[in-house]
Amino acid sequence: MSEDKYFHGRIRVPYRHVAGAYAGRFIQEIGNNKRIMGVKCSRCGKVYVPPRMVCFACFEKMKEWVEVGKQGTVKGFTVVNYSTPVMPLKPPFAYGIIELDGSNTGFVHIIKEGDPKKLKVGMRVEAVFKSNPEGNILDIEYFKPV
Amino acid sequence: MVKQKVAIVATGQTKHRSRRRDVNISEMIYEAVKMALDEAQLTPKDIDAVVIGNMDHFEGINFSEMWTGIESAPGYLKPVVKVATGGTTGTSLAAYGYYAVASGMYDKVLVVGWEKINEGGATTGIVTAFDARWERPALAGALGPLALMASMYMWEFGVTPEQAAKVTVKNRRNAANNPFAHLQQPNMTVEEVMNSPVISWPLRLHDCCPQSEGACAIVYAGEGVARKISDNLAWVKGVDTGHYYTYGGDDVMHKYPAAKIASTRLYKKVGIRNPLKDLDVAEVYEPSSWAELMWTEALGFCEYGQGGKLLDEGVTEMGGELPVNPSGGVIATNPIGATALIRVAEAAIQVRGLGGKRQVPDVELALAHGFGGSVWADLMILGKEP
Amino acid sequence: MSEKKEEPFTINWLTDLPYRYALGPVASKFFRVLKESGKLLAIKCRKCGKVLFPPRSVCADCLVEMTVDDMVELSGEGSLDGFTVVNYPFVDPNTGETRPFPYGYGAIKLKGTDTWMLHFVDETDPGKIKPGMLVKAVIKPKNERKGTLEDIPYFRAVEKK
Repeated sequence: MSEDKYFHGRIRVPYRHVAGAYAGRFIQEIGNNKRIMGVKCSRCGKVYVPPRMVCFACFEKMKEWVEVGKQGTVKGFTVVNYSTPVMPLKPPFAYGIIELDGSNTGFVHIIKEGDPKKLKVGMRVEAVFKSNPEGNILDIEYFKPV
Repeated sequence: MVKQKVAIVATGQTKHRSRRRDVNISEMIYEAVKMALDEAQLTPKDIDAVVIGNMDHFEGINFSEMWTGIESAPGYLKPVVKVATGGTTGTSLAAYGYYAVASGMYDKVLVVGWEKINEGGATTGIVTAFDARWERPALAGALGPLALMASMYMWEFGVTPEQAAKVTVKNRRNAANNPFAHLQQPNMTVEEVMNSPVISWPLRLHDCCPQSEGACAIVYAGEGVARKISDNLAWVKGVDTGHYYTYGGDDVMHKYPAAKIASTRLYKKVGIRNPLKDLDVAEVYEPSSWAELMWTEALGFCEYGQGGKLLDEGVTEMGGELPVNPSGGVIATNPIGATALIRVAEAAIQVRGLGGKRQVPDVELALAHGFGGSVWADLMILGKEP
Repeated sequence: MSEKKEEPFTINWLTDLPYRYALGPVASKFFRVLKESGKLLAIKCRKCGKVLFPPRSVCADCLVEMTVDDMVELSGEGSLDGFTVVNYPFVDPNTGETRPFPYGYGAIKLKGTDTWMLHFVDETDPGKIKPGMLVKAVIKPKNERKGTLEDIPYFRAVEKK
């Protein structure tokens, strides 16, 4: 008689990932003060948004926090047309790489514009903050075209 | 057959703590790596290859070298490889970093071990390392088997819990001299150990190692460049590794056959006839107090069954004939992926005379040992002379 | 200064992955025999004669492949050569919940084998344990057996008459 040639097992483990002080402050400033902060490398002057502890190029710890603009330029985008339960917005909407005014890095976030004809590389967008912040990246609810 | 001799030119460690809420994994690794690179006066550009070590499942990142290893390790545009061998991860890292340079293929290699254990859980992670069909149902992480080993050891040789407790007292007291150690307890007593709650009979709370978060980094250099980087070097005299059978019960665990075989081979390779006399210091991986007694036997410092007596006579205390774990060992500090690498780093610190208050006088030869729940053994001997 | 006592945000993540571990012919036979007749089997290496538990396909010392024909029946009795009472909480990855504790866990040298089985023991008082005492595997009644190691819930001391 044939039977189960397999042992059916499971790995079910809860985790708690710590984001660190830099990510923590970034999210807090968005939620509490409705402003977007980056860190600046004192060696090469590069401004990182989202902020991180170490400058990639200089391998030095960065300590200077700077406020960057709430507006920025779109460097790339894609339009999402399919639906799953975890989507932050109802499709269609876009994800974009946004270089905020004053930062030297791209920042990935949602652009609330579902018509691909209205999206272009180089267009300007502005952050819209959530009125009741929850302590995560969606405290910037989305970026809207300006 | 080595193509070139290899030396450790720098080490770095974080101050190990039970919880590092202020940093994420990448940032924590950076602290140890920066310390090592600054000591060697090297920049990321100077490093030829990186070996990074961690037990992925403990933090739930199944490809940890991808983002934690690249940025802070620093592995950008370099060969990077991850090693994960349980508790022996750190010494396996040390061995692979050494092989990379000894082979002549690389001249400067950075080795990093780390653990941020409170993101997941050590015991849970350890259970997933074992066979789902045969072992996981009953296995209780590392402490369960360590407790079984202690009971088998106690029953076979009559070693007492008080003798084991002396290991905790010695090591946590030694840890007070080590600025990086997690549990610095200079006033620990045998009574305090014996009064602590029983975690897994016969292991009490203070017979067990803590769970720490931290990272450790070591820079290796080949003989052609090592002397240009530093005039204070710890030379790798030899490395050996012993693995074990598939299942815990396949052999007599408390006699630690992997260490017996690997140490016998290594001593022969390096020319050591009597480890007690020829070695000046040993950093061993003791996840429980009882384990240190068992390891001193398997590593050949005394006969089987005499480990308790060896400590009773003060042989392995600071000031004794062969101090064991001047850094405080694992019972004071245990960031798993880094723990065994810290043994190598501390052995190098001893050889280079940088131990400060924990320095053992006149160290010529030091032994570093790694142990894991797999009952494997990795050994490295470091010396002042190449 | 970045060493402030910031309150960082934490991401809670649950890994929940099902797996099908292939048993192979030797383990398949073991679990089938356990389920059908409640008996334990080990395996004997043809070259060195070592009897191994759990049964597996390759003898590590000889690198000889063994087959289901090399499997031998055990009485289920053995000596308890190591013992502990696990008394701390941890998340069991089989369930994602804390495993109930305290529980007895032992190293049992099954009669007729050369290895120790590490498994549950039905005792949580170390005072009642004598080193090397005779224990026997308790097997679930046939209608409750699933063909997994849970069919052997624990080892229990054999009462001397």
